[in-house]
Amino acid sequence: MDVCFDDFHRAISDQNGYALAATITPAAPPYDPGRLYVFVRNTSSFTLQTDLRYAIIYNANVHLSKAEGNAWVDIFAAYWKTAIAVLKAEEDTNQGKIAEWDVVYAAWKDTVNALIRAYTSGVLAAWTIPCLYVAGKYLRVFAIKADKQASAYNGSVKFNDGFQDDVVGAIGKNEKLEDAARQINRIFSLCIGDRAPLEESRKWGLYYITNLLFKTYFKLNSISLSKNIMRSLQASSTDMPPLSAFPKSHRVTFKYYAGVVYFLDEDYVQAEAYLDEARRLCHTSSKRNQELILTYLIPCHLLTTHTLPTPELLARYPRLQNLFGPLCRCIKKGDLAGFDEALSASEDEFVRRRIYLSMERGRDVTLRNLFRKVFLAGGYEPLKEGQEEKDRLRRTRVPIAEFAAALRLGMGLDREGEGLERDEVECMIANMIYKNLMKGYIARERGIVVLSKAGAFPGTGV
Amino acid sequence: MSASAQGSSNTSKAVTQPEVGADTAKDDQKPATSLEEDDEFEDFPAEDWEQEDTQLPGGTTHLWEESWDDDDTSEDFSAQLKEELKKVEAGK
Repeated sequence: MDVCFDDFHRAISDQNGYALAATITPAAPPYDPGRLYVFVRNTSSFTLQTDLRYAIIYNANVHLSKAEGNAWVDIFAAYWKTAIAVLKAEEDTNQGKIAEWDVVYAAWKDTVNALIRAYTSGVLAAWTIPCLYVAGKYLRVFAIKADKQASAYNGSVKFNDGFQDDVVGAIGKNEKLEDAARQINRIFSLCIGDRAPLEESRKWGLYYITNLLFKTYFKLNSISLSKNIMRSLQASSTDMPPLSAFPKSHRVTFKYYAGVVYFLDEDYVQAEAYLDEARRLCHTSSKRNQELILTYLIPCHLLTTHTLPTPELLARYPRLQNLFGPLCRCIKKGDLAGFDEALSASEDEFVRRRIYLSMERGRDVTLRNLFRKVFLAGGYEPLKEGQEEKDRLRRTRVPIAEFAAALRLGMGLDREGEGLERDEVECMIANMIYKNLMKGYIARERGIVVLSKAGAFPGTGV
Repeated sequence: MSASAQGSSNTSKAVTQPEVGADTAKDDQKPATSLEEDDEFEDFPAEDWEQEDTQLPGGTTHLWEESWDDDDTSEDFSAQLKEELKKVEAGK
């Protein structure tokens, strides 16, 4: 048994939180695939308590207080049972049998409870918080596996049920994950409620735990709970270390999820600030995460500044290229028909990523670009006396008929008689003006649009 | 502490919210390719890193298009537009 606790003792005497957390991680590390097995085989349920006591409390190398020693005995006793359950579940999976991940989840929950008890009674120091990270992380992992197992099992039993029953049955579908969310929330409370001075506070664990909650709530489709967590953090921000003092992995993940929450709340300015910071801090090699950040940053940017990603940016990410490439090309060209086609072609993907509504608003930008081309095609007013070439003004009185013709082109209407009513065209122009994408007014009786001489299409250089 | 208490009471409320059930039921109809997993923000290979590890290769490339001008096609468009206007005139 002592062999198993070498790492534990070293971590305790070095005060190395991550090394300590590794000793209660319910998955064997790649460099030591037999770790759980060795630990399980080194004792039995009859001698477990005594063995743990000898290894932890009566070890001559490390001196733990009695309370601390007892806490670790409790934690490792629960961990031992988890390890057994994990090994059995893995074995069952390998043999093609149904693995009991719910048993694993329950055992791990006991371990987590023992940990939380130790923190609540104040026997574990703040440097050990990586143990809470491992606690929360594997609650989620095991809960997801257990729920998947349960829904596969229910699915095979109730495959004949109607849709009505499906809805009812689906409520319990995430039973374990919902429970995991509650447990991780307890860990969050444990961290945010710590009143110790900042340098030895569990508040340093807040962003890691928050990120776990975000991931869990997103999977449960419950964005409002994510907002609650953000509010709690905001409320105690004055008693917390600044976000910039946290490790980059915590910061990037937090900025990403918080940014997406703002995005879904249609607060695009705030969302863009968060997502852009996530992008700037993201590790170069984490391409998938960069992709995810950009998946929301691109629609954000399109809405706030009406600009598109460059082809070079998209070229770096094949998935984003597929997702946004066709749409961006149509927006740039002012190709309304192509835009509608590209939007409906990717509709499922956009809906799934919850960016459909934002991308749909790209139609306004497409229309703006089409009208802008009409303006450019109109050329310049003839030079007046004394005017120089550089003072030349673009023609700012554009017949509505030209916009109507452009719309026919943009919408790909080429048959005789097909087209928009004059009123419809005016309505679209009025909308553009209202949305500040175009500056000017419609002179109805003369059938022209009078555009502003100083920036008819704000932000586009003309 | 009140904030966290509020959080947990909401957690249990969410369980009974009908839309949670409805959404998950919709997921059921989709093919079993685990779509959700690949959506999740991945764990980073390290907990923290240096500023230079955040720079993309060719970090000077512009992210956003700065111009809307599409020089290749603006001539074409002008011609097409004239053509279209003629058609509309003729149709009247």
